[in-house]
Amino acid sequence: MHQPTNPVANERRELTSFWAGGQEYCVDIMSVREIRGWSAATPLPQSPQYMRGVINLRGAVLPIMDLAERLDLPPTQPSERSVIIVVQVGERLVGLLVDAVSDILSINPDQIQPTPDVGCDQAKAFIRGLITIDDRMVSEIAVERLLPEVEVLAA
Amino acid sequence: MDELEEIKITFFQECDELLGDLESGLLSIDAGATDPELINAVFRAVHSIKGGAGAFGLEALVRYAHVFETLLDNVRGGKTDLRSELVKALLRAADVLADHVAAAKQGGEGDAVSTAAMVEELEAWISGGPVPTAPAEEVNIEPNEDGIVFTPIKLSIPEVDEGPKEQAWTITFQPMDELYSKANEAGLLIREIERLGKIEVELLDDALPTFDSLDPETAHFAWKVRLRTEVPEERIREVFEFVEGHCSTTIVREAPAPTATEPAAGPDIAAIIAAAQAGDAQAAANSAPSEEATAIAPEPPAASLPAAAVPALAESMSSRGAPPPAPEKGNQATIRVDPERIDKLIDLVGELVINQAMLAQRVSGHGFAASSDVGRGLDELEQLTRDIQDSVMAIRAQPVKSVFQRMPRLVREIAGQTGKQVRLVTEGEGTEVDKTVIERISEPITHMLRNAIDHGLETPEERIEAGKPAEGTVRLAALHRGGRIVIEVGDDGKGINRPRVRQLAIDRGLISADAQLTDEEVDNLIFLPGFSTAAKISDISGRGVGMDVVRKSVQGLGGRISISSKPGLGSMFTLSLPLTLAVLDGMVIDVAGQTLVVPLTAIVESLRPTPTEVKKVGAQGGVLAVRDAYVPLVDIGRVLGFQTVDTNPAEGVVLLVDSEVGGRAALVADSIHGQRQVVIKSLESNYQQVPGIAAATILGDGRVALILDVDALVAMRRRELPRADEPFIEAAE
Repeated sequence: MHQPTNPVANERRELTSFWAGGQEYCVDIMSVREIRGWSAATPLPQSPQYMRGVINLRGAVLPIMDLAERLDLPPTQPSERSVIIVVQVGERLVGLLVDAVSDILSINPDQIQPTPDVGCDQAKAFIRGLITIDDRMVSEIAVERLLPEVEVLAA
Repeated sequence: MDELEEIKITFFQECDELLGDLESGLLSIDAGATDPELINAVFRAVHSIKGGAGAFGLEALVRYAHVFETLLDNVRGGKTDLRSELVKALLRAADVLADHVAAAKQGGEGDAVSTAAMVEELEAWISGGPVPTAPAEEVNIEPNEDGIVFTPIKLSIPEVDEGPKEQAWTITFQPMDELYSKANEAGLLIREIERLGKIEVELLDDALPTFDSLDPETAHFAWKVRLRTEVPEERIREVFEFVEGHCSTTIVREAPAPTATEPAAGPDIAAIIAAAQAGDAQAAANSAPSEEATAIAPEPPAASLPAAAVPALAESMSSRGAPPPAPEKGNQATIRVDPERIDKLIDLVGELVINQAMLAQRVSGHGFAASSDVGRGLDELEQLTRDIQDSVMAIRAQPVKSVFQRMPRLVREIAGQTGKQVRLVTEGEGTEVDKTVIERISEPITHMLRNAIDHGLETPEERIEAGKPAEGTVRLAALHRGGRIVIEVGDDGKGINRPRVRQLAIDRGLISADAQLTDEEVDNLIFLPGFSTAAKISDISGRGVGMDVVRKSVQGLGGRISISSKPGLGSMFTLSLPLTLAVLDGMVIDVAGQTLVVPLTAIVESLRPTPTEVKKVGAQGGVLAVRDAYVPLVDIGRVLGFQTVDTNPAEGVVLLVDSEVGGRAALVADSIHGQRQVVIKSLESNYQQVPGIAAATILGDGRVALILDVDALVAMRRRELPRADEPFIEAAE
């Protein structure tokens, strides 16, 4: 993964934070390719519920994932205010459907705490760590774990 | 990447081309071609590989290539007879050379054991076969029917060439423009010659035009170099090897002046020398690509020549007539382009196609008639867009030759391993197909060939017993048919043993014991996963990679594979693939509010059934009466999970499709929008494979539409409704 999990101490990191399912999450700003408005997606058959389908991103087919539903939260109701955050995961691009973008955070690596055992496998699996800013708590998403395991379903 | 690395990459690319030339040249010779240019081309290929390898310090490769080259040079010079066993040895040597190149590419060295064995064999050929030199008296220098004096070089040797002895040579060469444009220069060549001995250089500036008509980019000068040296003629020729085709060269040995060291030359000897010179001039004219060569060939010093010899020489030179055209390869103006740039261009043209469709849709939405100025303009744009698309696709189109070329070696190896005698016949090597397809057909072809030889062909003994020639024939052919490329791999072996295939399928629980199968269905059982008909799992085609894998990879390319077989006469695999993986002609349909594209190649016909033609079978199944047959109905929306209730076929549209797995099926859709060429977009590049979906595309309105995988869809429906008598359930997966 190109994203450094153990950046050099004292090297500040920038994160894009957003709201999904009523909670605040963030991803490393380096993995964000663009942020765009919601447009109706073409549903994919035989796919997990959280895969909302695919959209046309300047000629490429971009899969859209409902982040809230992926995290086992109630599904996002797409509206005009909904946002798609296009993130790069390895060689792939994936669009995350979220409620709204909130902030850009600049933090020290020591501000990130490991995820405690929260009793929810989904959340534990996809959250890299917790960041505390004033009295807010923002969870950092491990984007590389979001995509379903590559399996040849049609085989 | 540093510069040297880049050059090295280019070198290896060239090596691949050269190895291809080498092999195809040897194969033509093996097939009986006698063109001397062929052996020259073969020699050049090895020589160039050696030269390049030397530049990169690839010692092992150079050492091996050198032995190979020496033998080829002997063959070229007529010292070693080109017998059929020798050609076979040369082919094996070419394989070893390819291994060396491949190893060098990985930074290693070729397998020492096989190399040593091959070197030994080559050296045996080198030392084993010089043609015994005939005594001069018996020499027959009568011109043949073309008036060309034959074999003169050999004749002169025993008399004149006893060990190294200083000789005088006249070398005349006239560089052509290309020599300079390839960054060579005459000075370097002269310096090279100087290394061989003492030289006198004379500039021939007769062709120099007056100053006002001088073109500074054109070559005007020629040089005459008189060389006194002990080295043999080949060494002198080597100097010009790298400018071959870019320079007209004649190398003529001067008649030795009668000196004290030389016995007085009788007329016989003089005639022989003259003949030798005629031969030299002849050889020079052969290698020179243009007429100037003969024109500027200097008259041999007439003083020592008996008058009788002169007409023979003149005749032999004039009888050449126009020299053969320069080898085509040198003239082929090609450019190397980074494939990524072409891919980018293809993507952009894809965008253009989408945009054009989008524009057309919007214009018609605004009520412009097709006959209006705007409508006509759009028509032209569409035509133009298609033309551009075709042209761009043509850039990436490549003949299947590059894949076919690799197969003779494979066949030789498998034949060696199985102890079978195999002759490979290839046809349609020039058939062009998109690079994306080329890259992916090699593997299925390899498998099919392995299968044909390992399972299809009999052993020589079995063949003779069956009244067939001991050598089996495997035919590999490519052709265009109906907008697809068809690859056929056929053998004249024993054909599929249907009772055994059937029994195996029953034993492995793939079909029920009482299943009624047609011959064709039995043949196609070999595509079932894990099926292997060889009683003993062989090393060649039994590595757990069966025909099911081949079928799967072919289907992944949007292709189909089938087999037909005649007991005792052989089998033929037929592989049908799209010409490109970039665009597709499709039928745009609506299903449960979704727009989908069905590949046109799969559709037999579309129809609107009447309610009486639709019959229910059981609780969920249904069939459609089409003429005299009942065709199973497949509700696209329900199979894909877009809806839970079947669309009433009588209210929608039915597409009759031919699927590879289950024969004909009737796909039920809500409506048809029409036919359209669509640009194929991969779902896998950002996501993963989706069952029932082959790929995606972008429609005129900018939205993504999914392209159906008809075979998979029919298979999915079958999985949904399992039936006991269905033999292809597994195969469909």
